[in-house]
Amino acid sequence: MHGHTQMTSRAKIEVDTSHSYGDLVVHESIKFSVAANEFVCICGPSGCGKTTLLDILCGILKPSRGHVLVDGAPADPKTQSISFVFQEPSTFPWLTVRENIETGLRIKGARRADIDAKVREIVGIVGLTGFESYYPHQISGGMKQRVAIARAFATDADLILMDEPFVSLDQPTRERMQREVLDIWRHRRRTVIFVTHNLEEAVFLGDRILILSAKPARIVAELRVPLDHPRDPLSPEFMALRAQCVHWLHAPAAASGAQALDPIG
Amino acid sequence: MAVTRSADGSRTTQSGGLSGGLNTVGLNMVTLAAALGVWQVGSVLVASPFFPGPMKIVGAFVELATRGDTFGHSLWTHAWASIQRVLVGFGLGVLLGVPLGLLMGLYPRLYAGTRSVLEPFRFIPPIAWIPLAIIFFSGLTRFAFLIFLGAFFPVFTSTLVGVARVEPIHRKVGVVHGASKLWILRNVVVPTVLPDIMAGMRVGLGTAWLTIVAAELAGGISTGLGRMMVNYAELLQVPQVIVGMLLIGFIGFLMNEILLIIEKRLFRWRWQVSL
Repeated sequence: MHGHTQMTSRAKIEVDTSHSYGDLVVHESIKFSVAANEFVCICGPSGCGKTTLLDILCGILKPSRGHVLVDGAPADPKTQSISFVFQEPSTFPWLTVRENIETGLRIKGARRADIDAKVREIVGIVGLTGFESYYPHQISGGMKQRVAIARAFATDADLILMDEPFVSLDQPTRERMQREVLDIWRHRRRTVIFVTHNLEEAVFLGDRILILSAKPARIVAELRVPLDHPRDPLSPEFMALRAQCVHWLHAPAAASGAQALDPIG
Repeated sequence: MAVTRSADGSRTTQSGGLSGGLNTVGLNMVTLAAALGVWQVGSVLVASPFFPGPMKIVGAFVELATRGDTFGHSLWTHAWASIQRVLVGFGLGVLLGVPLGLLMGLYPRLYAGTRSVLEPFRFIPPIAWIPLAIIFFSGLTRFAFLIFLGAFFPVFTSTLVGVARVEPIHRKVGVVHGASKLWILRNVVVPTVLPDIMAGMRVGLGTAWLTIVAAELAGGISTGLGRMMVNYAELLQVPQVIVGMLLIGFIGFLMNEILLIIEKRLFRWRWQVSL
């Protein structure tokens, strides 16, 4: 709640895992860390196991090897404050907009007064004021996704994981939502890990971009985005970064140069 | 609440759907009057004691309702006896069918492992149990047992099928926020399955009525609408038999309407309530 002014150090993440399903190696070696309140984008070709990585990051899937530490403790949604925004529509059709946004808070057992206050605030930020008592089938796809984002941010989670949340939206809505997410993130600072295969989106949003190779996935590049918000996708710096991302995304997995760029770890 | 979705004017808005206001009510009134008219005229033309017209039926109804039958039981005693039996048996069917359907839906191995025992029972009509029920049970227990059999399987089966409809993503919303199994059951599984449960209950209620009349016809008791009908059939009194039939239809219809009203209340979130 008070993150904006207080800037409490939230959710520093340490990841060092590999994962396979039987003989299928999904992640060869994924090693990176995320600073508290950092906005990190993870990009990779489709089918490189990004969703699996997010499941591991939030602690609902145990990696075959290694660990994910959130502020030094193993990631676990039951004990830690983690929230998630999904790629596919995930609002409950039987709950109103307000009740959907309350879901995370209710699971955490928040008090009624706190729930009301937080929901009122977040509803205003995501621009759903006036739609609180609507059911999901009565609002547009973009609004439904805003409900899902509001649900994730309402919990005041230290770590928010987003799995291609805008992939099903049309271009104008997508752009507006990107600006809105940045807005929310600036209002209520916390650690965000945002998975996307849209490089422009990654450069637009992230403090840092991690690029994964195709399966078996590993991090082939790590790029810092030293641009201030709001970023102009047509500026030369933006386009140069985007070109760099494209280069690494298409780089052969075994490229020797990749090792040199293997991130901090 | 009435949300109309007109995309760009090319699509007409859907208003009311099947329950479209006064027009339908008016139309039904006309149909009803016409049917009664044809019936009355037919009975006058045939002029037989075995083909009474609606006026005769009304007369028999008033007599049964006010003075009671040949044994002194009022029509309401009979109706209440039947309703009571249906409610007890149906209630038991729902009380057992829903939790068992949820349990076996959530743990499919439990269902897979007991299928060979459960499924054959499903295909034995409750009516086929009447002879055994007469031997083993008496009074309310007998009827409750038979109606339970009729109501249980529709409720159980539709609950079981409904659990499979739970969207994995909805479950995951609970899991990633650290929800317990019980929370997911109450807040994800039950709301998803509820429409199926209600549908199963309406089918079960239909079967329950069907069963109660058959069971009462089989005898052994002095009250119940089925019993009353048999008594009058033995006396060749057609109007009283028809009063029993119509009352059964009317009570069944009323119970179904009550379930529909509950459904509409519960499922305001749905695009349209199925009929």
